[in-house]
Amino acid sequence: MKKGPAIDPIVIQIVEGTLASVEAEVEAAIERTSRSPMIREARDFRAGIHDRRCRKLTGRSYSALVQPIVRDFPPATMRPGDVFFHNDVYGSEGGIGHLPDLCVTVPVFADGLVVAFVQAFGHHDDIGGAVPGSMPSHATSAYQEGLIVPPVRIYQAGVPNDDLIKVLVRNSRLPDSLRGDLDSEVAACRMGAERLGDLFHRYGREQVEACFDAILERTTETFRRELLSKIPDGTYVWEDYAEHDGVDPPRLHTQRMTLTKRDDRLIIDFAGTSPQAKGPINHAGDYADGVFLKKWLAPILRNLADSPERMAELDVNEGVVPLIELRFPPPGTLLTPVFPAPTNARTFVLLRQLGILAGVIAKAVGGRMPADQETIRYTGFHGVDADGQFYLMREVLGGGSGGRYYADGSDTIHVVPDSKNLPVEFTETRFPLIVERLALATDSGGAGARRGGLGYLKEFRVLRESAFLCVADRAILSCWGLRGGKAGAPFRVTIDPGGPNEHVLPGLVDDEPVPAGTLVRVETTGGGGWGDPLDREPELVALDALEGKISARAAREDYGVVLAGADGACPADGAPRVDSAATRALRDRLRAARGRRPFFDRGPGYRTLAGVDHAEVDFVDARGAD
Amino acid sequence: MSAPVTRLLRIGIDTGGTFTDVVAIDEATGAIFTTKTPSTPHDPSIGVLDGIRKILRVARDGSSIPSATPSRPTVAAVSHGTTVATNALLQERFPGLGLVTTEGFRHVLEIGRQAVPRGYGNSYFWVKPERIVPLHLVREVPERLNFRGEVLRSFDEAAAVTTARWFRDKGIDSIGVSFIHAYANSEHEQRMRAVLEREHPGAHVSISSEVLPEYREYERTVTTLVDAFVKSRVAAYVGAIQTRLDAELGAGVPFYVMKSNGGVISAREVAAQPITTILSGPAAGALGASLLARAAGFDRVLTADAGGTSTDVCLVEHGVPGLTTDGAVGRFPVKVPMIDIVTVGAGGGSVAWVAPDGGLKVGPRSAGADPGPLCYGRGGTEPTTTDAHLLLGRIPPRLLGGEIPLSVERAREGIAALAARLGLEPARAAEGVLEIAAWNQANAIQQVSVKRGLDPRDYTLVAFGGSGPLLAGRLVDLLRLRAALIPLSPGNVSAFGLLTVDLKNDYVQTFVQRHDRLDYATVNAHLARLEALARAALAAEGFAEHAMRVERSADLRYFGQAWEVAVELPSGTVDEPGAAVAAERFHDAHEQRYGYSYRRAAERGATGRQTVEWVNLRVTGVGPIARPKLRERPPGDGRPARALTGTRTVVFSEKPVECPVYERTRLAPGDTLAGPGVVEEYGATTVVYPGQRIEVDRFGNLILTRAGASVGTA
Repeated sequence: MKKGPAIDPIVIQIVEGTLASVEAEVEAAIERTSRSPMIREARDFRAGIHDRRCRKLTGRSYSALVQPIVRDFPPATMRPGDVFFHNDVYGSEGGIGHLPDLCVTVPVFADGLVVAFVQAFGHHDDIGGAVPGSMPSHATSAYQEGLIVPPVRIYQAGVPNDDLIKVLVRNSRLPDSLRGDLDSEVAACRMGAERLGDLFHRYGREQVEACFDAILERTTETFRRELLSKIPDGTYVWEDYAEHDGVDPPRLHTQRMTLTKRDDRLIIDFAGTSPQAKGPINHAGDYADGVFLKKWLAPILRNLADSPERMAELDVNEGVVPLIELRFPPPGTLLTPVFPAPTNARTFVLLRQLGILAGVIAKAVGGRMPADQETIRYTGFHGVDADGQFYLMREVLGGGSGGRYYADGSDTIHVVPDSKNLPVEFTETRFPLIVERLALATDSGGAGARRGGLGYLKEFRVLRESAFLCVADRAILSCWGLRGGKAGAPFRVTIDPGGPNEHVLPGLVDDEPVPAGTLVRVETTGGGGWGDPLDREPELVALDALEGKISARAAREDYGVVLAGADGACPADGAPRVDSAATRALRDRLRAARGRRPFFDRGPGYRTLAGVDHAEVDFVDARGAD
Repeated sequence: MSAPVTRLLRIGIDTGGTFTDVVAIDEATGAIFTTKTPSTPHDPSIGVLDGIRKILRVARDGSSIPSATPSRPTVAAVSHGTTVATNALLQERFPGLGLVTTEGFRHVLEIGRQAVPRGYGNSYFWVKPERIVPLHLVREVPERLNFRGEVLRSFDEAAAVTTARWFRDKGIDSIGVSFIHAYANSEHEQRMRAVLEREHPGAHVSISSEVLPEYREYERTVTTLVDAFVKSRVAAYVGAIQTRLDAELGAGVPFYVMKSNGGVISAREVAAQPITTILSGPAAGALGASLLARAAGFDRVLTADAGGTSTDVCLVEHGVPGLTTDGAVGRFPVKVPMIDIVTVGAGGGSVAWVAPDGGLKVGPRSAGADPGPLCYGRGGTEPTTTDAHLLLGRIPPRLLGGEIPLSVERAREGIAALAARLGLEPARAAEGVLEIAAWNQANAIQQVSVKRGLDPRDYTLVAFGGSGPLLAGRLVDLLRLRAALIPLSPGNVSAFGLLTVDLKNDYVQTFVQRHDRLDYATVNAHLARLEALARAALAAEGFAEHAMRVERSADLRYFGQAWEVAVELPSGTVDEPGAAVAAERFHDAHEQRYGYSYRRAAERGATGRQTVEWVNLRVTGVGPIARPKLRERPPGDGRPARALTGTRTVVFSEKPVECPVYERTRLAPGDTLAGPGVVEEYGATTVVYPGQRIEVDRFGNLILTRAGASVGTA
């Protein structure tokens, strides 16, 4: 690594604090002015500050890349007031995963030179294409997914390129919203660029850039010292799956990861990953040495830190990149798709990669990693409201997080920082829907010594005929349990539950017709459990039963806890009591009855697709399991 | 000997964590008296009464009227700022609190907004904190409204009775009621409260349609629960003081409690709206500072109240601090209107530490007042910003005029150890600690101003609190501020602020409708109803109709946005031209804050039509209280040498400089000082950095500017 001149630790701290402040200011401005619920509530947008070498300096979150901009527009040709725009997945060097992520990039100037970039992308409601919301689940080509825009200038020297904006807006079903979102991103990035310019002005380019180097080097060192050191040298293999692609019948789309820890570095080999899907679940990752994916995966490593408080302190910036080498399979796989393979539901691969890395590391560290979670899926309705206007109501409902060695999983959380659900009172004001029930789904959390968090149970009454849409993985497979913990309950949408037309929908749906008056029930995934449920403290099981987080049946069958009272049901009033003697006896019986247990439990859906209960890679030797 | 002069005193009393600050003003002469007394956390009302007795002695003895004339102070009114509600919340324990909600929404608190704070992927390790009410103390009642307030399912009286008795039998006696869409129709919540009052008469009940009739059920529910929880505690606290005051001063002396919206409320009304007193301390500080700045001719002001633990920053335009309805206390959303204050963990006790990655950090952890900085010698083990100031000679080796001696040696040892870890000279490390602390404050100020689309360079900083004046000069440089104003007795600005505020009540009604389809009749009906409530409350406080001021505003946004901008409504009935004025003001405000608007969007065919949407209607009733008249001080002879008490070695940019030290009370209007230098007074020290100058204005404020910069006033 390049050794820079001795740098003042005080200026480093000031530069670091200012970068974080500017990132927060840009994001606050976008949140307050944007329109797409996907951006302003679900917070599916990210700001990033990058240096002139395209290295990401800020650390709260992943972001898109500057590489495609400087590839097409050499910095020497950039002028103050230029604003760049792109959403072209295959032209984004792997930084943009699907077309609705519209990305704005503003160069920062000091002494007439480009010294940094402020960038933001956000998931816009609609950018055209085959279906409302621009996420066609049955797409077989990128051309069906919306307007593709390669890197272009949307402002030239401060002057908006109105012709281009007209084209963009004309292609959206929600033009006002698109326009508002674009303006919001541009204004916020320009403000951030001005703030950053002040920093260069005050400290000079050389000193600020030396601080950038130091900030990144610190991250490298911290990750090496505090996190990578926890993984014993060796090679570990695990795999997980997407279950359907919207086109072919459900089957296992394998995503395999071989992790080698050696010489203080991680080598991640994706060999064994399934061929690219016909449908839109591919992620175009094999560009720019996988630099986007490295930064995407690195946050998972933080789970190796000594405490949850410390985990939260660790930022992920470009400093993680030297620690990770990615080895991609040849073109034509889920991670190396060939244009124009569709990608709009690429979370099926991208999000899954986080869990696979957690799982493969769990094998290396005796299970001291969190069990599985799944928190990005899109559900909603579209149609025509009472005013005759087209509407799109779509939200990103989270799920339960997996159990951890130090805590139960949390209920209904989301992987995107500060991502919010839609208030019921907003939904009903804006759309012809009534939310009849907003609840936690009982028994959805995987059983475990540390239980998985619960998913949602949300019931909508549709007031006007409409169409239901859904982009969700884990509708068959479950979030896996770890180290004896059980899998959580999968995602499920039921139309007319308990009624004459009751039916369950698959995870990928563009426009299921829903007649007026119909009830639609959405249940989201529970997190996987961590550790043997028969080891869970009986009084915690009793509290879960009292609060309805688990049923009396689950207390008995999954946890081996016998609650006092007739047939084990909770007394209607007051806390259920544990029958200690009966619990001991039942737990002994359950322990004796079970056979060889895998390290990972994938739930009953796995047999549906695989024909067996466990994959070969799901077992570890006795040492690893305990 | 002449007859005793009767002084009519208004007393402001601000209870802080360590000290209770007291300020009194003579209504006739504008004379100001200050004192402080130790706070009594186990029963703060004791400290309050101690403070009142002490200030009365001060006013009697320290009279500025010729000493031959004894004075007999009479108390005209007492205004009190308290953190009792905030402290109750920050305990994070909520015994005896229960929730009644609509059937189907039992998990409203468990689910919340599904948000995980901070970084991407934190959901893997983040542990959701305990909810304000555990799930087994949440009860559902069958009933349902739609967003228009129409009944979809009638209120189940029998189930309500069962619920009320269940809470009674459980001993749950603080109860929040929050039904879906209750902001649009309060009838079901009113009926639920009636049932609770009948079946469980001992309970303190808050209903969401009264506490916060705004949509967004999770936030409204939490705000309502916070109100229910603090109700009994605030009522008991205020009641105890009232009783003691009546005994001490005789019944009938008006007793006001500060609200977070920048107004006061009479003590007897507090129990009906306890949540409005949350965060009242910082609000008083911002108000006091803005009044002082305005009198001195500064209209655009940033206030920075720096104490031991943190700095509260607020932006003030034309004497009016910005308000927000998006506040929080700790991790709880509390969406009643409050003065918009950003708090950053940078104060005199902020700890300087080396992070595991080797970086030097300052705060947000604080050594507080106990054990306090190393130099206090009370068992502190980590260097703080105060130790750095001491080591560099920026503060004298004693505090509060000598009451607390400071150990330079301990500070030196601690800073030297820190410096060794960083490979720096101690003086450089000490300056670095202060530089980082200043940047932390500067970034907080940036966030406050950027949030409103304003440039800090147009603003003057009013720096107060115990540690505010120390770094004010540095902030002037960092942010290229117009100037810094350091008022007299910077530690007493919050208590002083209590004397500057009006009676103020806020009323809101959510009413979501597109601007182009605005139903004027309904708008006017809502406004009339809210205004009637405002006037009735002011009448109950003894204000005559003509003395009342009623302010009306609306929260507007572009259709599809989630955040609103509040704009003042034109007077009179809202009709089409009136609504158009409001929309124009919204475009202006959006333009100013965010740099763009859609005023002319309708003309741009291809880029879509941008509709304005109305969201909330607001009415504020104000009962004006006479502002204290600030006394001008006689001009001096222009020779500040009279205030010189000696010199001290102070380090700037690693160079020791022999600096003049001035006694603040002996400076006079018109004096000017060139930096470097130090101005000391009881409870605070002002540092004038090299290249800066200070001018004493006619009120005794220090006006600190960069040399060569012209202040003017703005």
